[in-house]
Amino acid sequence: MPASGAPISVQGLAHAFRSGSGSVSALDGVDLEVPPGGYASLIGASGAGKTTLLAILGGLEPPQRGSVVVGDTDLFGLEGDGLARYRRSTVGFVFQHFGLIGTLSALENVELASILTSLPRRARRARTLALLHAVGLGQRTTHKPGELSGGERQRVAIARALANEPRLILADEPTGNLDEASAQGVIELLEQLHAERGCTILVVTHNRAIAGRASQRIALSQGRIVPASNGPSADWESSGLDRRSDGGRSE
Amino acid sequence: MSFRDAFALALKEVMRRLGRSVLTLMAVALAACLLTALVLISRTAETEVLRQLAKGGPLASIKVAAAAPDPSQLANDNARPGSPRDLGPQAARAIGQLPDVTSVVPVITSRMIFVPGPGAGRSEPPYFYDTAVGADLRDPSLLPISVLAGRLPAPGSLTEVAVTPGYLERLRLDPTQPEKVVGDGLEMGAPRVFDDLEEQTFRALWQRTEIVGVVAQEAAPGGIVTTIEHTRRAQRWSAASDGDTGDLDLSDSPYTGLVVVADGLDRIGKVRRQITDIGYSTSAPENLIASVQRYLNVVEIVLTAIGSIALVIACLGITNALLAAVRERRREIGVLKAIGARDRDVLFVFLIEASLLGALGGVLGSLGGWASASVVGIVVNSYLTAQGLLGVHLGPSWGVLLLGVLGSTLLASVAGAVPALKAARLPAREAVNES
Repeated sequence: MPASGAPISVQGLAHAFRSGSGSVSALDGVDLEVPPGGYASLIGASGAGKTTLLAILGGLEPPQRGSVVVGDTDLFGLEGDGLARYRRSTVGFVFQHFGLIGTLSALENVELASILTSLPRRARRARTLALLHAVGLGQRTTHKPGELSGGERQRVAIARALANEPRLILADEPTGNLDEASAQGVIELLEQLHAERGCTILVVTHNRAIAGRASQRIALSQGRIVPASNGPSADWESSGLDRRSDGGRSE
Repeated sequence: MSFRDAFALALKEVMRRLGRSVLTLMAVALAACLLTALVLISRTAETEVLRQLAKGGPLASIKVAAAAPDPSQLANDNARPGSPRDLGPQAARAIGQLPDVTSVVPVITSRMIFVPGPGAGRSEPPYFYDTAVGADLRDPSLLPISVLAGRLPAPGSLTEVAVTPGYLERLRLDPTQPEKVVGDGLEMGAPRVFDDLEEQTFRALWQRTEIVGVVAQEAAPGGIVTTIEHTRRAQRWSAASDGDTGDLDLSDSPYTGLVVVADGLDRIGKVRRQITDIGYSTSAPENLIASVQRYLNVVEIVLTAIGSIALVIACLGITNALLAAVRERRREIGVLKAIGARDRDVLFVFLIEASLLGALGGVLGSLGGWASASVVGIVVNSYLTAQGLLGVHLGPSWGVLLLGVLGSTLLASVAGAVPALKAARLPAREAVNES
């Protein structure tokens, strides 16, 4: 059964990084709501705080100030094994760089996520094979990342993100390293899986076309949420969005 | 993460950087090889040197003479016996019942005339006087006798004898080829004096024997080793002499001596004191053996330390290789954490990786060390044999081999701890950081 999507609720989130003697603010009073099963895109220029927000939502970085609740989990104060458990059971990550381990086959890379759970070996193998079939790589299970195209690698990464049936998929520029056709395929796959499984999806992208496909568009600028609209409007300009078209549909 | 999954992951990582892994493995293997070889050689040296000192018998053996004890004997390894005193089965039983005594083997010596049989390359002397040492040969391991060539006479035999290197020397035979005398004949005559009032005559009880072996022995002074049954018969024949028997060195004592084995080197002193209390003279190379053992222990410690230092240096290579791996795999570790790995899962994988290198290096090195020590053993053996000395036996010491493997694995795990901790502490955010 598909997992139900996790709602995201962020209130007054602020986050800073130490830099030399001072600190650099990455997020400054971010408020954000994404409904359960929502499909949101996050846009913004480099340094706007997109990756930091994604890292906090994904449990990669503990929040410093404010409130971050994903599903039933309040991420504030969560650390160590608690955060690891959250990452393992609630979140599925898709990276721009794929994040696959070169020595492992497609099957082993996907299975890697579920060996961290207590799922029996046979069950996890069956689930892994089903996921690889679902992303169209049923015939490439034994291939290593080096033997796959960029699009295929990202499909493996998506399958891995789904391995533990997460309620939230966080995709960090999933098409950034792909050609136009592959990017299109990956986004369509994500949308298809979103529709089938009902999980919440948040996609960070520089690509306006991809961002425009989401039902909810969020724009960040200098660590703050700024208004974003559907079309190539002044709002997008103000968010500092990179206007280059590096794949996907043109608008 | 289960051990099986962590092991599979660690193995893949080792295989991934095969060149670096092989170099690291070789360093550990070489160090483990050095350690194993040095320990095996030093241990064999210790065993063999002590075996030479004890003439192949048990280290904790004490010789009891048919004589009263010298008051100062306990302080000396080779005390001078006091006045002669009968030593018979009753005394042997009493000594055998002492606490910390493992065994008592009676010895009877007999002064005899020997006539070597015809043999290749010798003609002189036609006969000579020597002492035959007879002992109960049912369990030769209880006696300070080591076989240089051939074997010992069969227990109870009256027709088989073993000779010592002194016999070869007397007959001007090559001491480096003791086996050449095996199979030769030797006639042994137990003398008896007959006093016919007018003149003394000698007659001998002759026994034709075959030399079945060449031995080194410390059971009693004498150049020929035979069974106690043989020397007892000779002793009885000679004891029936008339008149002046001074040259025959006859004694009324049923046994010439006893070889007593104590339950460990540290019990020798106590057993000697008890035998002195019973009233017999004793001697034992305990002080010599203890001194030599101390020196050999020092040598073993030094050699082990050299090997261990090499192993530690090799394990630092593991630390270095794993630290490099952590630097290169920062993002990968971040991804692992991003998909739910705990700090201890990452720690576990890196520790297994280090242990795997250590264990494989340890196995290869220990086997290599054993092979190297065996080669050294063969070279030393041929040298010792050429010198007419006992050869060394360098067999596999499973304890030392196990020590090599376990030591390498343990040290590698310790060496891997720092990089493993470093990897475990990497933040999960590394997964999304720019590389």
